[in-house]
Amino acid sequence: MDQNSLLFAILLGAPLVGFFINGLNFRSHNSKLSGSIATGAAIISFIAAALLVKELIHLPPEARQIKSSFFSWMAVGDFSVDAAFLVDAISAIMILVITGVGSLIHLFSVGYMAHDEKPAKYFAYLNLFLFNMLLLVLGDNLLVMFVGWEGVGLCSYLLIGFWYTDPAKAAAGMKAFITNRIGDAGFLIGIFILFLTFGTVTFTDLLSRLPSVAEVGWTGPITLASLALFIGATGKSAQMPLYVWLPDAMAGPTPVSALIHAATMVTAGVYMIVRLSGLFVLAPNAMLVVACVGAFTALFAATIGLTQWDIKKVLAYSTVSQLGYMFLAAGVGAFGAAMFHLMTHAFFKALMFLGSGSVIHAMHEEQDIRKMGGLRKQMPITHATFFVGWLAIIGFPMLSGFMSKDEILWKSYSSSAGHPLLWFVGVVAAACTSFYMTRLMALTFWGGSRVPKETHPHESPPTMTIPLIVLGILSLVGGWIGIPHVIGALIPGHPENYLEHWLAPALATVPMEEGSSILEFSLMGISVSLAAIAAWFAFDFYVVHPERPKAVAAWFGRFYEAVSNKYWVDEIYQARIIQPIVDGSKALWAYVDVGFVDRLTYFASDVVLGAGGMLRSMQNGRTQQYALYIALGLAITIYWVLVG
Amino acid sequence: MPSIESLNQIGLNHYLALSAIIFSFGMIGVLMRKNVIVMLMSIELMLNAVNLSFIAFSNFTANLNGQIMVFFVMTIAAAEAGVGLAIAVMIYKKFKEINIRYFEQLRG
Amino acid sequence: MMSLGPAMFYVFAAILVFFALSVIMSPNPVHSALYLVLTMISLAGVYFHLNAQFIAGVQLIVYAGAVMVLFVMVIMLFDIKQELRAFTKGLISGALKVASAAFVAGYLIGTFKDVSVGSQSASLAGNTDITKELALMLYSKYVLAFEVLGLLLLVVAVGAVAVSRVKGGTHAKH
Repeated sequence: MDQNSLLFAILLGAPLVGFFINGLNFRSHNSKLSGSIATGAAIISFIAAALLVKELIHLPPEARQIKSSFFSWMAVGDFSVDAAFLVDAISAIMILVITGVGSLIHLFSVGYMAHDEKPAKYFAYLNLFLFNMLLLVLGDNLLVMFVGWEGVGLCSYLLIGFWYTDPAKAAAGMKAFITNRIGDAGFLIGIFILFLTFGTVTFTDLLSRLPSVAEVGWTGPITLASLALFIGATGKSAQMPLYVWLPDAMAGPTPVSALIHAATMVTAGVYMIVRLSGLFVLAPNAMLVVACVGAFTALFAATIGLTQWDIKKVLAYSTVSQLGYMFLAAGVGAFGAAMFHLMTHAFFKALMFLGSGSVIHAMHEEQDIRKMGGLRKQMPITHATFFVGWLAIIGFPMLSGFMSKDEILWKSYSSSAGHPLLWFVGVVAAACTSFYMTRLMALTFWGGSRVPKETHPHESPPTMTIPLIVLGILSLVGGWIGIPHVIGALIPGHPENYLEHWLAPALATVPMEEGSSILEFSLMGISVSLAAIAAWFAFDFYVVHPERPKAVAAWFGRFYEAVSNKYWVDEIYQARIIQPIVDGSKALWAYVDVGFVDRLTYFASDVVLGAGGMLRSMQNGRTQQYALYIALGLAITIYWVLVG
Repeated sequence: MPSIESLNQIGLNHYLALSAIIFSFGMIGVLMRKNVIVMLMSIELMLNAVNLSFIAFSNFTANLNGQIMVFFVMTIAAAEAGVGLAIAVMIYKKFKEINIRYFEQLRG
Repeated sequence: MMSLGPAMFYVFAAILVFFALSVIMSPNPVHSALYLVLTMISLAGVYFHLNAQFIAGVQLIVYAGAVMVLFVMVIMLFDIKQELRAFTKGLISGALKVASAAFVAGYLIGTFKDVSVGSQSASLAGNTDITKELALMLYSKYVLAFEVLGLLLLVVAVGAVAVSRVKGGTHAKH
């Protein structure tokens, strides 16, 4: 085994070993021990990932691929699939984010789950998730990716329903799982179409076999495959119309929300599209769908986020909205920007989720922001780091969120696949984001305290604050590896857009208009000032004049009601999709199953029983009856031999 | 219609016919008697019929292997009688009667 | 010794058939056993005339002697009397049983009718060393089978004891 294979084995094996150790010891109540094992596994994995990326950097840019095939998974006729792994520019970013942020969240969990009843089980699931997520991003073909894809879905289900004694939480887990199934069906169909058309499921082979001309129309195989894969992405990455599971997924422990439902798993759909960028650029119509769905989801989820009262629900809708941005970027052909935002979002959203976890921990499992306020004093570190996250997400200049978000907005305007309307939707969503995030900050940390008297909030232990600080620093500076050209030109030393350089060889490109930097600056100015105005409004509403929101809500009337009820999407799904399926299933059960299938099987069993009953009378245990059969057999044999 | 000569000239076929008749009597005994001990006797009858045919073949083909085989059959018959009677004893101890019907109770 | 003359053969055959029939027809098992002894003695006579003198002796000693004593002892042990119903019930199955037995016998006889009489020329008649040859064969060619049979008898002896013994040995308390 050469060095790279060994690194792959350590990278994937460490979380798996951690899973087995904690999984076999699942009754343990020792959260420190199992937490250390799991965190250690994650850190080992991170070191292996870093070494692997170091190897990658030493390669020339065009040949930045490290492959390692472990064994032949299946070989059927001409079709063979290896359990093979691939690290290139795209997955390098992913494995660093997954193992890096993953390690921090493992560390955070040690403090957060200190008083839980089954910590070993929790950490086992967390390690298993890490393993599956790495499988997903490292898979060198669609099938290995699909295994990871399903594996993270399973872990997500297990962790959302981790406190399964609460029926609502168990139901949330099931909702996530079933919704994901719909997407997974699309993903599988996409794989089938690709295999049928190109005869391979390996990424490199697939991309080399693609035609060079883009496909027109809607029914070509590439467009259909892209759309089917995108359906898979909407399930996993919580886009319209399959986003409904993600807000409910907040039922799980908060570190899980940070790791799975903000930083890593939900970005799998974005990663998949970026990975197959060569395929998607050949299907402009599919790209258009991706961009529109992304933009619409970004705005739609952001408006819902305006009215939520649950700290984690706000963050969940924010995540849906930010994922929408990533799809918008992918849809306009700015795959690099999508990856960039994926990374920065992983930093600041994990930070905010962990911060909210710290708050919830301090508030004794209270999640309603109406019962918080003024926590700035009691929880200075949490507040400070959350503040950085807030600045990043609202797009404060030079922070990570600003870099990636404005690059997306600029590309959606300037790309040949983009449109000013997409940019406009994005900017409005950014303003909404700024508003609800400021509202969250204001209600949680600023203003007067509304904390119930019996609760005494306190700052969290170091295992929880250290990850917050690290993520805070990353949110501050993480964007500097992808500084846009126009800004870079103004800074002394003219730093390049490192990330773009890094990713460029691995991505397909869509022609971009070389817009003037004046235009770019002015668009940037519009979005930043809109966000600033929205933030000011929120601050004014919730800190300076706390009585105003009610009046404004009344002024919006019916619209406010719709938004605060999340546009009744869950109710509509319930009435229009779930209920008909339930009714149809009941009808199938009552008429087809009982009336037809059961009767058929009963008939078959009756025939067998009847025949058996007849034959059974022959086998009645009477010795002499048996002797008679022997005698008859003898007679027949003699007749046969001597006469017949 | 067998000829007078074949009736007068006693040969292998006559002994074999006698053996077949005794064998069929044994068969009827095994098939129809209720008493296990009489059934065992009927089995002895069948074995003896076979022995008779062995001896007859042995004589008329001048081959002693048939007689050796009769030895072995006798030994097996003795063994079979021993085990069969032991089982019969058990059946009698349990049911106070040696009816073949009670062998229905012999289940694994 | 020559094989039986026609008259003697028919006499023996009649006796054998009568005794054999009596074994299966007699309602009293004791009578059955005694008829079986007579059958075997008659068979021993037939063997004697078929130049199987040693086998005839063994037949008398082992069969008519030892094995039949075993039967009679078991019958005496259980104090079995005349049976009210000697045969199992069932008219159809009974007819089927008799028919199949008759069929077997009939077809066998019908086939044996044509067995070549020419083989009578080859006979053991005149061979005076039959018993000696038998012994030589038994302890040379068939020695393995002979030993295995000895083992079988041992196993059967142990097995019969194991099957029929009362749990806990002869002094078991009930």
